[in-house]
Amino acid sequence: MPALRTIRTVCPRNCYCTCGMLVTVDEGGRIVSIEGDPENPATVGHVCLKGLSYARREAYPDRLLTPLRRSASGSGFEPVGWQDAIGEIAERLTRVRDASGPASVLYYEGSGSHGALGGLSMAFWRQFGGCTTTFGDLCWPAGLEATRLTYGVNFHNHPALTVQSRLILLWGHNPAETNVHQWRLILDAQARGARVIVIDPRQTDTTDAADMHLRPRPGTDAALALGLAREIVEAGFHDSAFLEAHAHGFEEYRQRLDGFPLEHAASITGLDPEEIRALALAYAGTKPALLIAGFGLQRHSRAGQTMRAVALLPALTGNVGIAGGGWQYANLASHCLRPLTLPPEPAASRAIPVSQVARHLESLDGPPIRAAWIERGNPAAQNPAAHRLRDALARLDTVVVVDQFMTPTARLAHFVLPAKTLFEEEDLVTAYWHPYLQWRAMVLPPPGEVRPESEIWRALCERLGYDTSYFPADRESFLQALLPVGCGFTLDDLKSHPIDPSANSGVAFADRRFPTPSGKVEFASDEAAEAWGVDRVPDYAPLGEGAASPARGRFPLQLLSCKTRDRIHSQFGNLDWVRGVERPHVLDIHPDDARTRGIADGSRAAVWNDRGRIELTVRLTPGIRPGVVHVLEGWCHDGDPDVNVLTAEGITDMNHGATFYECLVEVARA
Amino acid sequence: MTGAGFLLDLHRCVGCGACVLACRIENGRVETAAWRRVLALNLRRHPAGPTYFLSVACHHCEEPACLKGCPSGAYEKRPDGIVVHHEDLCLGCRYCEMTCPFATPTYDDAKGVMSKCHLCAHRVDAGRLPACVSACPTEALRFVAASTTGAPIAGAAALVPGFADPADCGPALRFLAPAGTRRAELFRSLEEALKR
Repeated sequence: MPALRTIRTVCPRNCYCTCGMLVTVDEGGRIVSIEGDPENPATVGHVCLKGLSYARREAYPDRLLTPLRRSASGSGFEPVGWQDAIGEIAERLTRVRDASGPASVLYYEGSGSHGALGGLSMAFWRQFGGCTTTFGDLCWPAGLEATRLTYGVNFHNHPALTVQSRLILLWGHNPAETNVHQWRLILDAQARGARVIVIDPRQTDTTDAADMHLRPRPGTDAALALGLAREIVEAGFHDSAFLEAHAHGFEEYRQRLDGFPLEHAASITGLDPEEIRALALAYAGTKPALLIAGFGLQRHSRAGQTMRAVALLPALTGNVGIAGGGWQYANLASHCLRPLTLPPEPAASRAIPVSQVARHLESLDGPPIRAAWIERGNPAAQNPAAHRLRDALARLDTVVVVDQFMTPTARLAHFVLPAKTLFEEEDLVTAYWHPYLQWRAMVLPPPGEVRPESEIWRALCERLGYDTSYFPADRESFLQALLPVGCGFTLDDLKSHPIDPSANSGVAFADRRFPTPSGKVEFASDEAAEAWGVDRVPDYAPLGEGAASPARGRFPLQLLSCKTRDRIHSQFGNLDWVRGVERPHVLDIHPDDARTRGIADGSRAAVWNDRGRIELTVRLTPGIRPGVVHVLEGWCHDGDPDVNVLTAEGITDMNHGATFYECLVEVARA
Repeated sequence: MTGAGFLLDLHRCVGCGACVLACRIENGRVETAAWRRVLALNLRRHPAGPTYFLSVACHHCEEPACLKGCPSGAYEKRPDGIVVHHEDLCLGCRYCEMTCPFATPTYDDAKGVMSKCHLCAHRVDAGRLPACVSACPTEALRFVAASTTGAPIAGAAALVPGFADPADCGPALRFLAPAGTRRAELFRSLEEALKR
């Protein structure tokens, strides 16, 4: 029996759970088990199938283990040594810079692997003279900003308090697939008598277990929230004492509600008026009630105002600052690390919106983009207008991609550099559901020629004679120095258990102090108006490309491309173990919508709009709202249909998010 | 005496497949067929019935058809009820694949023998839970140890719609019916319909 080592570490994926893990390896470096870390009070003792799949992924036959260079013929890749790869890349990047300026190089980093060391890339780029980066985020920024504007900060109750709820309202959220630890707690609460209510245009694993399910039209959540609020106030179910003490701008908000009588809210959302009334009375009549919003309802151009409208319901009903209640969107309590020491930002640097990379690659001037470096991301499949982004990347002088696998983006590169896995470099990892900062341990040495990204950047700096003092001489002491001053814990403490670095008691806003300009919950926000040009009070406006827009004449169906438990975006979908248990990749369409188009179950259908076209197999799905069709996102290997050729490069009304779910299509037999 | 087996809570199981992967890791099923499977019922969510998942492996039957159908004595029913397959005695004739009502034993092409779930007997003997049970993130899949009292598990059913006809094997697997207002109603109506 070979000697075994068990090491505490953490999963760094862009996922709610950020599971603490115990990984056991044998002397040969083979992973013999992966288990949940019982020391993490939120993810206690379990990981999901993706966490388990690391046992396969680490040494997967397709993993890239050596730098690759596009072969001279242009078809395929050939292995190249690090010294040659770094030398040629440095030479090509400096040539582009010298001809067109540093901003002609795009540096694109995705969210594929979380850790503090990722930021070291800027130690290179700032010495390079600057570059073009991206701003905003494809995922969640409008909801973050809406929460900040409303409550002052993105904190929420500790996950363990979920079981104290008597009613849990899941709004555009599918934790049975996307936050399985939260789902365990919700099931526990339900077993103790809590009602579970879900708002989602689709029927999902979450709605199956719910006590009540409402299926509004996508993009109408603000009207639903305002309609609910009006019913709650009409019924006198709002918490007057809380509002008097802690609400700012309530009178203006109350006037806004006059515009959303029940029948009007029902006609916008496509819900039955009685459903809305029943939800209003259930939510406001039960305490403590917990409202958990997903990210899906803010993936459109009206996202920020929608999220402000929804986020106010817990305050309206006095559910803020109490155990078992609250507003849950994202919890940034663990986001406490000190910034990296970096060179000053050069004046030549600029940034483009991350949801509009294709457009800017095509048309940006002064200077145009001529080279790109892409790491921790797969924009050729995962960004809006993916086909245009692919074409534009293919036209660049130089593309460098760092990845573990040959993704659709990596295929377009001139150089593909092999990336480390989560097990191959120490780091500090924050979370966005539970409050814990966690230590990511070095479990295994990088295999083959693999180098951590931080070492790739250091090598490039060395090659170009730049200052390398920004890089860790010793990673542990480097990371120790990133812990907040006076935090009272050390790296050794983090190695033994996850730590909540915030001073929160577990109940967010227990002291009813809100770090907003007014010090209160902002039902009206001058800051929102000044920063984003929106109305001071949350309102509803129809989507530019939605249920009520003229474009529905040609493209009558609203397309959603939701997340599932099998992947984190396009990661994990290449693994045989995951493919063996994953959800079928189909177009979900309501039987009524299929019948009018003569589409049969199991047949091939084309889905298209003015931006693009894909083909895939149809599944007649009575569980989806008529007028809505759905494809799971993130399937992009080996010729899979690519949903993002259909999505638009819109921007959310707040905080520069993407608008994946504002997408009209038509469907026909292929 | 009731033998050891699994208990699956159909309300808590989300069909995620973590149990399948945990089994692969624990039992070295890397490129071979998995011993555990997750069957999805009504993923399209037809309104006439509920949607739920059956995570199934070997059911460690009271009267194992695999054992009866094995000409070489490769199967053993342990005193605690766990049915173990001994690879070294296996002919690879695949009779057990045919006699098992659930087609549980799988043929290993490379080795030319059968194999199947042994309820992680090595872990159970060491006082640990089977790997699939230990990994289940919603705590839907549970292990029921052998019991001398023979008391049935409260509320647990031996059969649910979607589960194969066990013939006379007496599988040890038990189910807890789905809950949630709507799903529980649909489940009951489906059970009624199947009885008719």
